[in-house]
Amino acid sequence: MEEAASQLEREHVHSVYEKIAPFFNDTRYKAWPKVRQFLLDQEPGSIVADVGCGNGKYLHINENIFKLGCDVCRPLVDSAWSQGHEVQLCDGLRLPYRDGCFDAVLSIAVIHHMSTKERRIRAIKEMTRTLRVGGRIMIYVWAMEQKRRKFEKQDIFVPWNPNPPSSLALHGPARGPQRGGRSQNEGEAADSSDKHRKVRSTSSMVDDGDLATSQQKSQRLWFFSRSLDSVLDFGSLSVSRSSSREISTLCTPSDETNGPKVGWRCPRGKGLIRQMSSLFSSSRTSMEEDVFETDLQEQVKNEEIINSTEGNEAVSVGLLQDCTSVPLPDLVSYEMEQSNEMRQKENNGEKQEDDTPKQQESTASLQGCEGENEWSREKLKDSCMRYYHVFREGELTQLIENHVEELHVLHTCLDHANWCVIAEKVQVWRI
Amino acid sequence: MKLLTHNILTSHVKGVTKGYPLLIKATEVRVNEVEFNPQFVSRMIPKLEWSALVQAAEGLGHLQDLPSSLIQDYENNEEFLRKVHRVLLEVEVIEGCLQCPESGREFPISRGVPNMLLNEDDS
Repeated sequence: MEEAASQLEREHVHSVYEKIAPFFNDTRYKAWPKVRQFLLDQEPGSIVADVGCGNGKYLHINENIFKLGCDVCRPLVDSAWSQGHEVQLCDGLRLPYRDGCFDAVLSIAVIHHMSTKERRIRAIKEMTRTLRVGGRIMIYVWAMEQKRRKFEKQDIFVPWNPNPPSSLALHGPARGPQRGGRSQNEGEAADSSDKHRKVRSTSSMVDDGDLATSQQKSQRLWFFSRSLDSVLDFGSLSVSRSSSREISTLCTPSDETNGPKVGWRCPRGKGLIRQMSSLFSSSRTSMEEDVFETDLQEQVKNEEIINSTEGNEAVSVGLLQDCTSVPLPDLVSYEMEQSNEMRQKENNGEKQEDDTPKQQESTASLQGCEGENEWSREKLKDSCMRYYHVFREGELTQLIENHVEELHVLHTCLDHANWCVIAEKVQVWRI
Repeated sequence: MKLLTHNILTSHVKGVTKGYPLLIKATEVRVNEVEFNPQFVSRMIPKLEWSALVQAAEGLGHLQDLPSSLIQDYENNEEFLRKVHRVLLEVEVIEGCLQCPESGREFPISRGVPNMLLNEDDS
């Protein structure tokens, strides 16, 4: 189970971040205000750790405190170092820091990448170990509940899109000075120009980039996954292969190079994920993590597709995958249905409001993308699906209260699409 | 890796109880100029393991005249604070490794970044 969990994370968190790291740096400069404030509130001379620091975007805040960052992703850590920050490569489950050495710890959009409840608890415990008594931890995780919509399931795979080049020109803040100096308020620069774009976003995540303008089509898609925890519950299921490989076995390679002309051939054999990825990466919309559909009526039952509404620009599709070694029979049949319908409608470019929104989507979007080859999409044609466990209201608080006795929750809130919890380390006396 | 960071790092190899402080084996060391903030340094001192800091600085040949034990009333002693500042924040290990004092396991430092990731067998 442990092995399955770490394998899932390796494939759908660690290696994805490694691939997308170069893009990450250019687009993700937003520092969440509450996190910024948390850092600014620390007393001068404090030592603060950012566990899962990514490219270090919080590490420049507050010159009067000593910050160190760590992450499991080498390219991101290297990038943070080149900005002048003290960073290490390490695993959140085994922090290489002595007990009680930090005055504060940040865990921003990190533990939702951990694939089992047990690991999430361990991660929190590890961070608590390094916190001094009286010190505080701030944790941000994706929320299942959003203002206008909700994930159907808690364990999901989210594809990653590079942002379209146009948004970079507007939003890419100037890189900080080379090592030896400190990067200046990148967050602020990005914030002001970001404001008008934030409007439609309800799920812009801490670690994800800017959103496309409302004129651009949005493509939102996520994949359900069975929680590894539930797999364990069932006992008999063996988690021997990764979920992306499951998808692979069900799909055939499609002829991606033909582009829009052939529309979107749906999958037989390997490459569904690949296709999805290239679909997204070539889309003009590339709404990074906006995996929700505003106008959508969410009626996903198992593998049904959600019908798109008139003029609707985006569609959410839930595909059920399972981390078992046996492909789900219903997944196969869903795809057969899909591919049949698509072949029928392949040459028909009309928008239709039936249950092949994917096709109309894909055709439209693929047609729109031809000129945009600035990004090396080749890299991204491989699966870039990130695993997330999104949290229900109260789940994180409960996790802490029930399993981490040294932490006392001070504050909980929903910050945009994240649950934010601040907790303080307390002395526990055992009689 | 600055020595302030080193002061916080410890070996977390499975079964190790005395993983601190890590031994520094440096092949490339750099000294940068960092703005001196006396209040910052002064507040940092009580959080440090002083002997580990001295040992680390000595190992790198950068001890100079840093005292082996903390002096009294250091808060107002600018000269002392400057010495501490230099050792904590200006001396930097760019290449080398950190060795666990108990298990001998080595954690490489490359491009200024210590790699503290453990393999399956030692975590």
